[in-house]
Amino acid sequence: MAAAGAEERQMLAQRLKAAVHYTVGCLCQEVEEDKDVQFSKQSIAAISEITFRQCEIFAKDLEMFARHAKRTTVTTEDVKLLARRSNSLTKLKYITQKSEELASSNMEQKEKKRKKSSAAKGARTPGEQEAAVTENEDSNTA
Amino acid sequence: SQKKPREPQIPRSLINEIFRHFAKMPVTRDALQIVEKCSERYFKQLSNDLEVYTHHAGRTTVEAADLEVLMRRQGLVTDKMPLNVLIERFLPLEYRKLLIPVAMSGNKVIPCK
Repeated sequence: MAAAGAEERQMLAQRLKAAVHYTVGCLCQEVEEDKDVQFSKQSIAAISEITFRQCEIFAKDLEMFARHAKRTTVTTEDVKLLARRSNSLTKLKYITQKSEELASSNMEQKEKKRKKSSAAKGARTPGEQEAAVTENEDSNTA
Repeated sequence: SQKKPREPQIPRSLINEIFRHFAKMPVTRDALQIVEKCSERYFKQLSNDLEVYTHHAGRTTVEAADLEVLMRRQGLVTDKMPLNVLIERFLPLEYRKLLIPVAMSGNKVIPCK
């Protein structure tokens, strides 16, 4: 039972890594076109590995920040704290701006959803809603 | 004999002593001056961070939990290295007594909460 769980977990990690690798590849391609340089395959793989490991650190820190504020849900406030160390992210107000944008767009979406849900009366399952949310996040980060 | 008003800081001798203790090798005077400057900046950064962490928890008073978050963020406190172990390793006995709960006679626990 435990072995099966571990195997499944490994599969999941591999899938996540592959997804990160693909996205990093796309981003690198953009940079390549922008700066007129070439990334070797190894360097892209290294960047994706770094990104994956950094995500582990991010996740732990975010969890700690949320727990510190006696919450169990990570919010934009926690993410802002996470970005405090990086001067280019905080001093240029990049993160704050982004979170404000997100907040305003979220409000719009909520109103839309309210209209929809009042029309459909909760026809969507929670799982589908989650999928929709993650898709939105992807499009925001890309 | 007018003294310039200075910002409060840790005594120079104490900084030197601590740095020499950990460096375990000869340190030039210039290097020690740089260490002093660094510790000044360290405290500035520290107070900024603590302020943000305290506000984040919806408080206005800095508590031990904020400091633990800070030290976790600094990578000093990890899952394998709890805060209490660091306290035991680096603080003298009288401070340890204040920070780590110890059961005393008569069902007393120090520090009392």
